[in-house]
Amino acid sequence: MEDQKPQEQAPFGQQPFGQTPFGNQGPAPKNWLVESILVTLFCCLPFGIAGIVNAANVNSKYAMGDYAGAQAASQAAGKWTKIGFFIGIGVYVLYILFFVVLGFGGAMMSNYR
Amino acid sequence: MKLTYILGIIIGLALVIIYYKFNPEMYNFFPECPFHKYLHLDCPGCGSQRAIHALLHLDIKKAAGYNLLLVLSLPLLITQLAFKIYSFSTKKKLVMRFWYNPNTPKVIFAIVMIFWIARNLPYTPFNYLAA
Repeated sequence: MEDQKPQEQAPFGQQPFGQTPFGNQGPAPKNWLVESILVTLFCCLPFGIAGIVNAANVNSKYAMGDYAGAQAASQAAGKWTKIGFFIGIGVYVLYILFFVVLGFGGAMMSNYR
Repeated sequence: MKLTYILGIIIGLALVIIYYKFNPEMYNFFPECPFHKYLHLDCPGCGSQRAIHALLHLDIKKAAGYNLLLVLSLPLLITQLAFKIYSFSTKKKLVMRFWYNPNTPKVIFAIVMIFWIARNLPYTPFNYLAA
């Protein structure tokens, strides 16, 4: 899951002064884009959107040669995606517990919405 | 790490069986989206439980009626899964360069926001998007 690294990515635009094209650039940091999309689609809460915005930051900063900025954005993207994921799981578990407490029989009978 | 994968596969299979057997429209032990419950508006993920139920019964048209965005993103997600399985089984790191294009997240963000707004508009061409 955590080893999403493109083999090579040409930096777009001009390199800043004092940086060689192959100097301090590692592979692009994980941008959490797929995970954010999954959170947006399946976890209801719009935390995935914050993940997508940070994924955009990762890609554009890496393309500009700002490797530290890309790494910071990558961490922010991961944070928001995980918050969305765990809140989604939490809501799910609470909901199931709620029904276990109320009694499963009644839950099966009534209609959704 | 291996245990996580096995656990993930077991939970995934259990969810597939549950979502195949029970229609979320008929049984209320499926959680309702809090966004929809309290604001009475659809979020980009609303309708995806019913869409999954329809997809597992291979009814793509019905699934698209519940959540068009989920159905449209399926080809991408399936390609990503294929890349993952390939790089897991061959131990070679193979990544979709598509996700690391600087424009991809911006376009996806725009699509999600437009979809979110459009599905809450109560006018005729848009209300087909509602969950």
